[in-house]
Amino acid sequence: MQIRLQNVVPVPLREKILQRKSEVWNTNIVFDQGHWIKIKAPSGTGKTTFIHTLYKIRNDYSGDVWWGNQNSREVTGDALAQIRQQKLSIIFQDLRLFGELTARENIELNRVLQEPFYEGAMIDEMAEQLGVTHILRQRAGLCSYGEQQRIAIIRSLMQPFDWLLMDEPFSHLDQENTRKAAALIADECSKRKAGFILMDLDEDDHFNYFKRVEL
Amino acid sequence: MLNQLLRKLIRSASGRTQWLLAVVGLSIALLLIFAAVQVQVNYNDLLHGKTNQDSVANFLVINKLLNNQTYGNATLSAAEIDDLKKQSFTEDVGILTPSRFKASVQSYSDRFPFYTDISFESVPAQFIDVNSKDWKWDEQSAFIPMIAPNMFLDFYNFQFSFSQNLPQLTQDVVKMIVFKVNINTPNGVVSMNGRVVGFSDRITSLLVPQEFMDWANQRYSINQDTKPSRVVMRTKDPGNPQLVEYLKGHNLVTDADKTRFSKYRQIVNTVVNISWITGAVMLLFALLIFTLFIQLTVSSCKDEIELLVTLGASPKQLQRFLMKQFFPANVFIVLITLLIVTGLQYWVYSILSQQNMFVSAFTSYYTLLTALLILLVLWITNRTTIRKYVVQQQK
Repeated sequence: MQIRLQNVVPVPLREKILQRKSEVWNTNIVFDQGHWIKIKAPSGTGKTTFIHTLYKIRNDYSGDVWWGNQNSREVTGDALAQIRQQKLSIIFQDLRLFGELTARENIELNRVLQEPFYEGAMIDEMAEQLGVTHILRQRAGLCSYGEQQRIAIIRSLMQPFDWLLMDEPFSHLDQENTRKAAALIADECSKRKAGFILMDLDEDDHFNYFKRVEL
Repeated sequence: MLNQLLRKLIRSASGRTQWLLAVVGLSIALLLIFAAVQVQVNYNDLLHGKTNQDSVANFLVINKLLNNQTYGNATLSAAEIDDLKKQSFTEDVGILTPSRFKASVQSYSDRFPFYTDISFESVPAQFIDVNSKDWKWDEQSAFIPMIAPNMFLDFYNFQFSFSQNLPQLTQDVVKMIVFKVNINTPNGVVSMNGRVVGFSDRITSLLVPQEFMDWANQRYSINQDTKPSRVVMRTKDPGNPQLVEYLKGHNLVTDADKTRFSKYRQIVNTVVNISWITGAVMLLFALLIFTLFIQLTVSSCKDEIELLVTLGASPKQLQRFLMKQFFPANVFIVLITLLIVTGLQYWVYSILSQQNMFVSAFTSYYTLLTALLILLVLWITNRTTIRKYVVQQQK
């Protein structure tokens, strides 16, 4: 699935955005299936707004976001759920885990929302890779941010997707853990021939990016 | 697995008492409604069932109430008879024609000396319940066939015969006796033969064929007033309160014994109606509480539902899950109350059958149909409420 943006400008940031040059806002930009995109976004430029607009959590923008040949504004209800189950996966900056569920249950939930992409054993395998096996039975609300972030990463990889949207996915991780997580993400995207859009504050070399743009 | 996780996330709203209240309310409501349907069906069974049918009761002889106001004018006008024919409870109306000549009956035999003044009545053939090949008359007939009320024979056998020292007579013996029927005319007495061809409980007068009555009345009548004063009516349900009300309103009377059921029927109707209305009102309240309960649950899990939808849970999945959470309780209540009503019905059946009254041992199809209908209403209510609030939550 190709993602295409046509003159997208978020309404609350309109003034600010029109004052400066952006490679993303208010332009026509196309992300082709399988491309790994890095978007560098200094604070306050609308990084999270951008991810939320792509994922259709926010609708307060002018212009159009296209998922393949569908205008995302016209996709609602069960069809929207279908896109989120099959085409788009996401790692939120604020993680968004269910605090009452255990770490494993949080991951499991995203695994069984649709016809499972992986067996349940895959959770243990990925948890092992990211070093969070010991907290799988713990309530997510009691885990540290670093642990929660790794749970959120594993959760996003449990489903099928064409695109993985990431909003500062390593913000709570040290270098070693970031390396492991990036390796896992790269692996999973390759397996699916999927692309990703990674939003971050600074430059980095976690991945072999196809394109780097500035927000 | 998904449902298990959802169950952990979307806990039923905290109001356990509310839930219990709704369950109890719905149970009582359903019990009342099912019982009302079942009682109605049972009562209809008792009234119209073949095993309980009483054919005599379905024929009512009706005449004007004779009192100071109607004295001397107790005849029925054509308009009154037409009106009676038009009523919904009326199946057929026949005019009873009285003889308008003086007559007597006596026996030929000396061994059985018998004499009495008599009057006849006749009624259209479809109201006669005696099948006899002799029930016909023309001027060439050897005798006049008559149908006597059983009451007459009983009166003779158990009173009159004792006082007169006469032998008792069976129906068959009476049918063999040829009587002498004397009719007083202005030109003297005309005698003919007569014979009883059958007995009936339906109409309590000595009946002769309509043809004879018309002929004799025309020839020997001493007054020309031909207005009828009594009619016989066939009805499905003599206990119909409408019928009793109508008769009362038009100053008409009939055998009160036959219409006595109407009073019970009215009571049953009232009880059934109260049960209906109470049940319906309670059902409404129970539905309201269930709706509120669903609303409360959904809104108390607002954040969880929002995140679920964000992660890709479809509204359909959530609705299906919530249906599974709430609807089975309703099905369970319907089944339990149906079971209770079935038990009660069996109990009623065993008690009534001891008194030779027969109702079905099981709940009627109507009750089951009502249960299905209510399940449908519950399903629709659940579904629309869940839809409404899940959709509302996403906005």
